Amino acid sequence: MASVSEMYDVTWEEMRDKLRKWREDNHRNSEQIVDVGEELINEHASKLGDDIWIIYEQVMIAALDCSRDDLAWTCLQELKKQFPGSQRVKRLAGMRLEALEKYEDASKQYDSILQDDPTNTAARKRKISILKAQGKSAEAIRELNEYLEQFVGDQEAWHELSELYINEHDYGKAAFCLEELMMTNPHNHLYCEQYAEVKYTQGGLENLELSRKYFAQALKLNNGNMRALFGLYMSASHIAASPKVNATVKKANVKYAAWATNQINRAYQVSHARYLL
Amino acid sequence: MGEVELSCLAYVKMYLHACLFPRCSVNGLLLSSSPAGGAVCVTDCVPLLHTHLPLAPITQLALTQVDVWCAQTQQRIVGYYQANACVSDSSPTPCALKIADKIAEQCNNAVLLMIDGGKMSPDYRVPPIVMYERKDTRWTLKDKHTIMLRQWEETRDIASQLLDSGDHSLLVDFDSHLDDITRDWTNQKLNAKIAELASPANASSIALPPGGGTVSIVTFTWSSSTARGRQQNINSLSINHILLENSPEWRNNG
Repeated sequence: MASVSEMYDVTWEEMRDKLRKWREDNHRNSEQIVDVGEELINEHASKLGDDIWIIYEQVMIAALDCSRDDLAWTCLQELKKQFPGSQRVKRLAGMRLEALEKYEDASKQYDSILQDDPTNTAARKRKISILKAQGKSAEAIRELNEYLEQFVGDQEAWHELSELYINEHDYGKAAFCLEELMMTNPHNHLYCEQYAEVKYTQGGLENLELSRKYFAQALKLNNGNMRALFGLYMSASHIAASPKVNATVKKANVKYAAWATNQINRAYQVSHARYLL
Repeated sequence: MGEVELSCLAYVKMYLHACLFPRCSVNGLLLSSSPAGGAVCVTDCVPLLHTHLPLAPITQLALTQVDVWCAQTQQRIVGYYQANACVSDSSPTPCALKIADKIAEQCNNAVLLMIDGGKMSPDYRVPPIVMYERKDTRWTLKDKHTIMLRQWEETRDIASQLLDSGDHSLLVDFDSHLDDITRDWTNQKLNAKIAELASPANASSIALPPGGGTVSIVTFTWSSSTARGRQQNINSLSINHILLENSPEWRNNG
């Protein structure tokens, strides 16, 4: 079986840098991380210096994601040897227990971390993940809300909460979470677009108008966002078709919808041209 | 009620869709190119979403676009499939029921298909699917004996082969299309690959056995050691990792 370096003609330094990039961007491309990381660890461990520990951590998490228990165990052992008694390694051990669906044991592991350090956010979040994995959405939502009362600035937690609410069809609360995110990240077009989608789903004239405004805002921030463009078209069309609007509003929305249609057609024309090239 | 036949093409694409996004709930539409009346023949499927299944705008958009495409290609939407992210529960979610209801308005033999992630292990013997049909206003489990999958072993083999060769990444769902509109959600390229691998249709059809039954077991020899590794990845469906600290993968429009 060809190695990664052979298949892609890359040096070990390039592989190490790629792993770093994936780490920094928080990509969940676990299969790739396992392929690249495993080879680095097996063939080039001595050259990696102190980087190797963080690579062990990254590869271990990816290995758990791909059911590679053997690799995860190896990484964990190396980390345990190097950092005995570390909370960070304890959390990794907990994640391995989660992967094996030993949720009780994993929970105990995280509880012991929290006993020593009640502010350890990672352990708290893992406990919430366990609830989610067990399908206990209501509890997960409750715990996450409590967590956010203490750690109000945790963006990922707000986003996770919005996802949980969406899955429970609690669109009002999902919208609230997204509003928090939009406040702290006013330039993020994806939050605007998601907020608009939630408002659209809630339905009703007022929500449709809000959704149109936020689709437009998302487009302003990134005019390549196709979801926002389609969303603008659909919300404007629905408003124009509603019997409750007056003639001026109707006319305006027909114009918005027409503009959106134009932009959509142009985008597809350009894409077809590119596709054929 | 009536019989339902699931084609190799439809099954393989659904399966690959679930494999391509093992950590997400995925859904899609089931299509038929046969005329209405009699048995429902699912001849193709369109993978739709892997994010925010319950949200309305993109679902509505996709339904409209697929409708238009079906009219142009003499196909009809006859059903809906979904695979839940949480493999311990493969029952239809409220959004699955809603969409299936909508489809049933236009097609009275519509089927609702749930992919059972827990049964997608490397050596699964029966298709990991559960089908529902509409009786009065409720979706009830369909009698397994009315579900047909011709050439089941060949179909399963084709799905595995495409997974091993990495060709499952050729699959484009509607979500991926919106991220990059040059990508084709009708999956013509993948369809061609599947057609290439499919053996000529043969007269006997294989009914789904209730549990083990009469289907002959064919042992596969994996083509390379990576094959087993890849199949084990499918097992990640049974281990629900929600890496809470990792920010969600933002699409490349970010």
